[in-house]
Amino acid sequence: MSVAMSSAAAAPAQADSILVVRGLHKHFGGIKAANGVDLEVRRHEIAGLIGPNGSGKSTLFSLVSGTVPPDSGEIRFDGREIAGMSAHRIARLGLARTFQIPALFENMSVRENLLAAAAEGHWAGARERAEETLALLSLEHVADNRASDLSGGQQKLLEFGRAVMRQASLILLDEVTAGVHPNIRRIILDAIVRLRDKGVSFLIIEHDMEMVRNVCDRIIVMDSGRVVTSGAFEDIVRDSQVMQTYLGRPQ
Amino acid sequence: MAAHAIRTRWLGFLFLAAMLVVLAVLPWAINNYWLRIATGALMWAGLACSWNMLGGYAGYINFGHSAFFGLGAYSSALLMNDPFGLPFLATIPAGMAVTALCAVAIGGPTLRLRGAYFAIATWAFAEVLIQFATVMDFTGGTGGIGLPPFLNERFFYFAMLVAAVLTYLVTWALFERSRFGLKVKALRDHEPAAEAMGINTALVKLQAFVLSAVAASVFGSIFAYWVTFINPKSVFGGDITDQMVVMVLLGGLGSLWGPAIGGVALFVVNRLIWMNWGDTAFYIAILGAAIVLVVLFLPNGIAGLFARRGGNGALAKAAEKLVRGGER
Repeated sequence: MSVAMSSAAAAPAQADSILVVRGLHKHFGGIKAANGVDLEVRRHEIAGLIGPNGSGKSTLFSLVSGTVPPDSGEIRFDGREIAGMSAHRIARLGLARTFQIPALFENMSVRENLLAAAAEGHWAGARERAEETLALLSLEHVADNRASDLSGGQQKLLEFGRAVMRQASLILLDEVTAGVHPNIRRIILDAIVRLRDKGVSFLIIEHDMEMVRNVCDRIIVMDSGRVVTSGAFEDIVRDSQVMQTYLGRPQ
Repeated sequence: MAAHAIRTRWLGFLFLAAMLVVLAVLPWAINNYWLRIATGALMWAGLACSWNMLGGYAGYINFGHSAFFGLGAYSSALLMNDPFGLPFLATIPAGMAVTALCAVAIGGPTLRLRGAYFAIATWAFAEVLIQFATVMDFTGGTGGIGLPPFLNERFFYFAMLVAAVLTYLVTWALFERSRFGLKVKALRDHEPAAEAMGINTALVKLQAFVLSAVAASVFGSIFAYWVTFINPKSVFGGDITDQMVVMVLLGGLGSLWGPAIGGVALFVVNRLIWMNWGDTAFYIAILGAAIVLVVLFLPNGIAGLFARRGGNGALAKAAEKLVRGGER
């Protein structure tokens, strides 16, 4: 597998990486959801994480963000070992995430959801940033509605908006544009690129290859709880074996 | 729309000011019999509010809240008697301190439990205190304990009024108007997501629990001095908690004014029944009927009828958490 080898040779020095994962393991009963994951997210890049269902992508997010403790392995975020640290401490270090199934504060208003995301940490100017975020995501007209009253697409937007409110240095996005209208998807993608240009790093789980191609600087492919290859979109797509085996889409 | 919001705010402010004036002159307008009922109504409004801090805003259903009411009552009773002989006002902060320590000790482990398990653990804690107060000598055992009588109805009315106003002010400032309130409501709706936003949910829950407990202890202190005699059942009894829960459900779970509406309404109904039919089980039947009606027709309580956006659905949320054991 040439892609895997070339990407291994080009592995960046750790200083250039905001996130470094080494030998990460997590077993749920007999299922090896993380079976020795190694990966890096470089500073100021948008890394796309792809792979078939059940390959361990969302579990990786839960392990990195501290929602679930790993069995073993190292996770270095911004030069600090965070494996096993509680989720709120990791969040305060500057790591934000979204949930695949929207995990909104359902009985709070849309605006309160954004404010709650900033309640711990960057509170100064949070009210102004909440209004900006509402405008950015076209949610102004539902700002006072209960979050549970939002449409599915709007819930995804709000989930993304809360991550933005965290003012994080690394944001993990779990299928944040799935089921979202193309116009709104454009808004999210533009926001991601703009934040990247301001210095934020992203790790994005995505099934939409069009989005992966347009936005991601680098692709990481997972299967059966491991990273099998990584590299530029073109290189990954050119490797027909990878496409066939892991994406089920022969070139 | 903005002008409308400002006008509504002023109307609300004027209404509150008028209410306070009425409450301040009330003791000179009614006889002692009704003054005692008004004093009790203020106490229940305040107690319901204290229960709502954790139950409504954080979604943790505490079925042992009478424990903290009783701790305040027993603290005042013991400290006013020999050998301490402290003045009443000094026993209130002492009761608050004892209650806060107990709340930290019991909240630390039990707040890890979710849903029904938390409810059962807190209920057991109150039962333990009943047994403790019953078997120990220094608490007077089953016989209870008397306090130096102070027969000034107006004093107790104003003591309850000040305590209730402070309880609502603190609730408004901390739960409705601050970052703390945002954190509490966030963890009620989705704890893992709140954690992912940097919120230390274990700490915030404990803070809400201690606040709620300390507020209840203040009413316990005043109640003990007011009735001049307490025993384990009269201040730790589970029926005290039951009433708080029903008052909050009726008034509106997780809302600021719901507990006041529910507390005053149920207590006055209780007294009216007592006046007309004596000490009957009829009140219990009314409590049960109230729960059924609220769950079926008023998921956001009476306060939800007036909420701008149809209330906040906190009751449905808490019920869901209780039933599902808060699995997420």
